[in-house]
Amino acid sequence: MTAIAIERQGVSLPGQRQQTLSLTYHRLMLMMLVFAGVTTLIVARILYLSVFSDRADTGAVGNPLLPARGDIIDRNGVPLARTIDAWSIAVHPKKLLGDPAELAVKLNELMPEKSAAEYLSLLKSDKTFVYLSRRAMPELVAAVNALGEPGIAFDREPERLYPNLELAAHVVGYTDLDGKGAAGIERAFDKQMSDPATRGEPIQLSIDARVQQALEAELLAAMHKFSAIGAAGVIMDVKTGEVLAMSSLPELNPNVPGKGSMDARFNRITLGVYELGSTFKPFTVAMAMDAGVVKSLGQMYNCSSGLRAGGFTITDTHPFNRACSVSEIMQESSNIGTAQIAAQLGAERQKEFLKKMGFLDRVEIELMERGRTLTPGNDWGEVATMTVGYGHGIAVTPLHLASGYAALFNGGIWHPATLLKTGKNRPVPAGRRVFSEDTSYKMRALLRLVVTHGTGKKADAPGYRIGGKTGTAEKIVGGRYTGASVVTTFAGVFPMDEPRYVVVAMLDDPKSTAETYGFHTAGWNVAPVISKVVSRVGPMLGVQPSTSRDANLAEVLPFIRGD
Amino acid sequence: MGPSFIPAAVARQSWQAIFLAAAIALSGGLVLYSVGGGSFSPWALSHVIRFGTFLAMALVISYISPKQMKPFIFPAYIGVIFLLILVQVLGVIGGGARSWLNLGFIVLQPSELMKPVIVLVLARFYDLLPAGQIRTWSAIWPAAALTGVPTLMILIQPDLGTATLVVFSAIVVMFLAGLPLRLFLGGLAVVATIIPFAYFFLMLPHQQKRVTIFLDPETDPLGAGYHISQSQIAIGSGGIFGKGFLNGTQSHLKYLPEVHTDFIFPAMVEEWGLVGGLFLILCFFLLLRWGMRVALNTKPRFDRLVAAGLTTTIFFYVAINLMMVMGLAPVVGIPLPLFSHGGSAMLTVMISLGILMSIDRNNRKKQQRLV
Repeated sequence: MTAIAIERQGVSLPGQRQQTLSLTYHRLMLMMLVFAGVTTLIVARILYLSVFSDRADTGAVGNPLLPARGDIIDRNGVPLARTIDAWSIAVHPKKLLGDPAELAVKLNELMPEKSAAEYLSLLKSDKTFVYLSRRAMPELVAAVNALGEPGIAFDREPERLYPNLELAAHVVGYTDLDGKGAAGIERAFDKQMSDPATRGEPIQLSIDARVQQALEAELLAAMHKFSAIGAAGVIMDVKTGEVLAMSSLPELNPNVPGKGSMDARFNRITLGVYELGSTFKPFTVAMAMDAGVVKSLGQMYNCSSGLRAGGFTITDTHPFNRACSVSEIMQESSNIGTAQIAAQLGAERQKEFLKKMGFLDRVEIELMERGRTLTPGNDWGEVATMTVGYGHGIAVTPLHLASGYAALFNGGIWHPATLLKTGKNRPVPAGRRVFSEDTSYKMRALLRLVVTHGTGKKADAPGYRIGGKTGTAEKIVGGRYTGASVVTTFAGVFPMDEPRYVVVAMLDDPKSTAETYGFHTAGWNVAPVISKVVSRVGPMLGVQPSTSRDANLAEVLPFIRGD
Repeated sequence: MGPSFIPAAVARQSWQAIFLAAAIALSGGLVLYSVGGGSFSPWALSHVIRFGTFLAMALVISYISPKQMKPFIFPAYIGVIFLLILVQVLGVIGGGARSWLNLGFIVLQPSELMKPVIVLVLARFYDLLPAGQIRTWSAIWPAAALTGVPTLMILIQPDLGTATLVVFSAIVVMFLAGLPLRLFLGGLAVVATIIPFAYFFLMLPHQQKRVTIFLDPETDPLGAGYHISQSQIAIGSGGIFGKGFLNGTQSHLKYLPEVHTDFIFPAMVEEWGLVGGLFLILCFFLLLRWGMRVALNTKPRFDRLVAAGLTTTIFFYVAINLMMVMGLAPVVGIPLPLFSHGGSAMLTVMISLGILMSIDRNNRKKQQRLV
């Protein structure tokens, strides 16, 4: 072999040298291809790492001003819900370098909402990724970062913020952890607020944050004062059906909806249905006047003793023990009188009116949390007609009641309730006539009378000419009425000489106090709420207080017999 | 080339290479200033001074023609072998390996010097080998021996990364010298079959770990795969334009290990973004392309093998470091040449550049003579 090699060397020619050179040349070119290939690979990798890594600025590609979710504002532009860029703190349990036990103690010091033992179980879990805290404040993020644990990761994520906390929580609603609307307006307009084409424009509600605040504060104070388990209230524009304030208590902080109880998340105004009791009586009287059954506010009924109906006796809390006029029936909230008027009206006409006011259907509003009303159904005989006449045997939402009162006092036209501000872009939805203008007009004096001379005296607010009706309904406990626990309601309207706003307030199971002399009826606990609320919101709504103007009480006073 | 107003001595410098090397080294200085906490010490200043010194040395080397180098190559090879023996006897242990030699004025890593020297000695060998013998056994065994001895000595330090680079450089020179292609294909097949064997019987635990972690960083329970993850996070977090000079959190908060040497690239990309990273890659690519052009333009066999071999050595440095920090290769302790802080690697690369410039100068002289 060596010999052959030497031979070849012997004949080594320039040609062969040339061949070797060209071989080297080819192999050099091959090496350059490898260079280019590896360089391409490296460039591709760095591009991949740059593009496919998580950064906060990936949310608003294109228009940086476009929010990740549309804002919700009140009728004056006050923000009720916004989206901010928040931090989340998470841990990759498998990537932890430090001692989990030690880390758990430090985490507990920084975030005391979980115990060290709970953190330890999170840090030791099998999952690859666990959230420790979401919507963390920057100070907290900095403090956790200072722990120096590389297994803990921080990320920016869009977070829904409700800057006014509990204010109008049940109207605005809240989103779930994935940012989808779970309740309230957030749920009802989820699509509009998440669609990039429409979310740039905020959703403007009919709510007035100032009015809302006043209503909530007064309701909350009353709820605590009378140890009620819940309260609710709504203020509505009688002409447009716009809801200016809507509150359901106990309070809910939509920033942390999970921390609220089921009861707190429940919207009593639109989802809760209640037997609203005597607040129904004005409807019965108005229906009877419209139908021609009651021809005068002085028409007399026999109120001398309990009225036998079916298997039981209808009684009054303020018995007349004599004949009484329609005005007196309303003034003293007589069940016996109202039941007779309802009986004269008859089931058919009663149903027809209730249907026109929407009382037999789910309440009309944009929210999706809407309760189904309870009615006598097929069992709507004479007894049912009588009880429905004074608000028993029928359960509706407080919003039904507000819409009904609006129709009763705006001249007789029923409008669906709305949470969106009406105006140039959104005309008032067409309504339907329920009562005649004449009936509507006559009701003003009748309900003003209740406040000036009747059961609702404590609802009066000087100068604001409030009219309205109290209602105390016994709650059904275990299938039967008990006197122990009640729902008290006041449905009011002001100013009665030219009605503009309906205010409905409700207390769920208020207790009697020394101040109420052992009573737990509406006139004692919920009527004062109306007085306080109207005194506060009247100026905001531009209602001029006046001592010279009032509803024309001359229409009813002649039919009242002073005792 | 037309009549020039520039003095020949200036015109004959390999300006492209000098500019590219300076661009890389100075941006390295900038990043070292940042990762040093916005300070010239301990890294940035010494890096820049060292580069200046080594650049002067490279320019001096460039005036020695390849022909003049030839007689000194075998003695130099023997010299480095001697240093490798010395390091075993007197060496300083650093980073788990006995590979550093303190010569008083400089702490030297002789295994680094072996990288250019192995290229030179093999090129010299194939230069001496008659062209007809290239496909015979006598073209293989001396080369294998010349490579094997230093490789084994480096392996027992132990320094797998440098040993691998030495073998790679040697293989490239053999490949370019024209050894039959089947040898390389066969060798590749053999290596593919030994790797599992090597993993279980030759590798030390820390090396085994590096490989398993590279294959699946998530399986690592104690967080040793953390280097790779943090490095990728740093690269990704820079975005297009980076977080800005002195604003890198991954590097300043010490999430990145060895941020001044092996993991300097992610620190740089975090602050300078994709743009900075691509700029550096482009600089390296142009420098390597220049090296390959030098190899292509030269005719003598020795010159061509040396030029291509040295360029490839630099390429291996760059490619392995970049692939490591991006999670494309296991973690091996190889710095980014010229960019990372560290004298030995820079010395190796600057010696290589000096020799390349010498060959380049020689090429131009010949071209001028032809004109």
